[in-house]
Amino acid sequence: MKSQSLLTSIHPATVPDSLASHERAEIDASTRGPVLLFFGCSVFWLLVGSLLGLVAAWKMTHPGLLDSMAWLTFGRIRPAHLNVVVYGWAFQAGIGVALWLMARLCRIPLLHAKLLVSATLFWNLGVLIGVLGILAGDSRSVEWLELPGYATPILFLAYACIGVWAVIMFRYRRPGHVYVSQWYLLAAFLWFPWLYATANILLIWQPVQGSAQGAVNWWFARNVLGLWLTPIGLASAFYMIPKVLGRPIHSYYLSLLGFWALALFYSWNGMHHLIGGPFPAWMISASVVASILMIIPVITVAINHHMTMKGHFEALKWSPTLRFTVFGAMAYTVVSLQGCLMAIPSLNTITHFTDYTIGHAHLGLYGFFSMMMFGAIYYIVPRLVGWEWPSATMIRWHFWLAATGVLLMVGALTIGGLLQGLALYDPKVSFQSSLDFATPFRWVRGISGFLLLAGHLVFACLFVQMLLKIGHRRTGPALFTESKTEAASL
Amino acid sequence: MNKLPLFVIGVLCTFAFSWLGLVVYPFVKLGHLEPVPDEETGGYFPPTLSGAAVAGQQVYAANGCIYCHSQQVRPASLSTDIAKEVGPRRTVARDYLRERTVFLGTMRTGPDLANVGLRKTDPNWLHRHLYEPRSVTPWSIMPSYRYLYKMQKIQGQPSANALRELSGRHAPEPGYEVVPTDDANALVAYLLSLKRNYPLPEAPLPAAK
Amino acid sequence: MTAELILIFGGMLALSGSAFVAFCWSVCNGQMARPREAALTIFDDDEPVGLPTDRFPSRK
Repeated sequence: MKSQSLLTSIHPATVPDSLASHERAEIDASTRGPVLLFFGCSVFWLLVGSLLGLVAAWKMTHPGLLDSMAWLTFGRIRPAHLNVVVYGWAFQAGIGVALWLMARLCRIPLLHAKLLVSATLFWNLGVLIGVLGILAGDSRSVEWLELPGYATPILFLAYACIGVWAVIMFRYRRPGHVYVSQWYLLAAFLWFPWLYATANILLIWQPVQGSAQGAVNWWFARNVLGLWLTPIGLASAFYMIPKVLGRPIHSYYLSLLGFWALALFYSWNGMHHLIGGPFPAWMISASVVASILMIIPVITVAINHHMTMKGHFEALKWSPTLRFTVFGAMAYTVVSLQGCLMAIPSLNTITHFTDYTIGHAHLGLYGFFSMMMFGAIYYIVPRLVGWEWPSATMIRWHFWLAATGVLLMVGALTIGGLLQGLALYDPKVSFQSSLDFATPFRWVRGISGFLLLAGHLVFACLFVQMLLKIGHRRTGPALFTESKTEAASL
Repeated sequence: MNKLPLFVIGVLCTFAFSWLGLVVYPFVKLGHLEPVPDEETGGYFPPTLSGAAVAGQQVYAANGCIYCHSQQVRPASLSTDIAKEVGPRRTVARDYLRERTVFLGTMRTGPDLANVGLRKTDPNWLHRHLYEPRSVTPWSIMPSYRYLYKMQKIQGQPSANALRELSGRHAPEPGYEVVPTDDANALVAYLLSLKRNYPLPEAPLPAAK
Repeated sequence: MTAELILIFGGMLALSGSAFVAFCWSVCNGQMARPREAALTIFDDDEPVGLPTDRFPSRK
């Protein structure tokens, strides 16, 4: 660690020293153990989660499916699905990507990786106990916080190790500019423990009285998405898109404006899930306003990514990472603008309480976040194991299965949800017709679940092949030989 | 290196802003509401819950009823809930102060249950509906909660609490009966207790039609 | 109750104020300066601007 003079710390405009390729390879290698373990576990939970989601989806059209046992009932499978994909898949994939990005951007190797490995094991133990607890009937039915009170302390302990590590890495980074991805990551690592502690204390361990629970619940659920998963997804996009293309981000100013606007507005969004609920009007209004103001950070990010990509969209043909990441970035724009619209009370009154919301959630968590993570994993894993992905065809299959699956699902739930919502809104229409309208679209959703599951199986297969080192050895520590020649023609 | 603390403070401050507004404020303002005394009967609004109904909340949570049923009536200014007879008046914060977990819900795959105790007053109907939803509502997509019931051989006299009027293929074989477990009884007690038809100062009942 | 309200809303005001001050400070002290350089930190000599770093694996 070089000591800094006061002047350099106030004006950190020194040109950062460039990283030699072997140094970068060392930094990548230092993250291998924990990052691969996070990815491996996340892929496992992704498969479990898709299966649970598939069962839950088909239960909506076939209520008699697997209904004889308590632990298989819809009301337990559905929260199990949510918690597995959120805490098992999304969190772990996100943490893996975040740690790798942090090490690369701070330009220092990850030290004491064993501590992080044990944190990973603890985290998975927590998720496993928690999900079994949900299936056993110990859930308190607080959305996004169904993991029972005996599982969350384990998660918290595991998180403490991980979060502290990320902050320490940032503290000991090499001098030079802080890249925008680091802002997002550091903030996410600081926000999450506060969020999770508040929500667990006030909702699970010492539940606060009455409808205040609703406010705390949705403050948490929205912010886990907005201030934990979203920053990680965006940090990945802000790194992957310029890095893969070899083009710096279009406007660094815009990215910083986007960051602070996100921090300020997203944290207020939660109450738009409770429009018309038993709360003081100002709380709902503040959330509606903040939700609409989300247009600012969303548009800044969208413009930035688009301008960086502009003129280089043919890169989607040759880069798997970019293909997934750009899909994720587009989904982020769409889902966020959709979120702004859904917060407008006159529209919310139709879409609230319907499948439309479920479609919106999947566009966010899958279309945006999961695709972003797939993209990052395709970039990171070869650099950790030193081998190429074994099959380009399989990567293409994964992409098209995931993309069609999620678009089909979101499309079906959106249209079905609107029809359902209109039926629920019209006093002259019976409740039964709201079901009749939604049912065909629920069938389509069920089919889309098979596509997603198939895509995940292909992905898992690729991942296992990488771990077993089936494929071609990489020729350089960080580069593919072919791309050098192609770069000249670009 | 003195940028880090500043950045951290900035990040935490923006977050604390919403934490105060959406967590601390409701904790202070909504977390300590009192029931309103009812001058006519000497009781309170919302009324106290029976022990069985409190136990029923746990069953409601464990089996995830919330994922398809909301428990809130939105005001007429924001929705058609009252016209659709979801409830006689909007629900307000005070309505929920007896609940250990507040089941506001975000889905209406099934009907809202904030006032189910007003619409369904017959415990046997609710039991039949839970045991086999399609035996009473043919188009229902609710899963069956048969696992909350016991099929048993009739010993002498049929049990007083056995389910009545189960017909067709849902009926038990001759000589057998279906009786609710404690969980089923608790759940039905809780559902029957769901009536938000009392006046509150902040949410008076509409004048009689 | 009013004291609590003043505390909460006063706190919110103070926090948003300090967030704003922090933002201004970071603008003034150079975090926002030379954005071009900050955007270039992810490139190195052996992975310079203009060099793509990812592609589908080739069949060999």
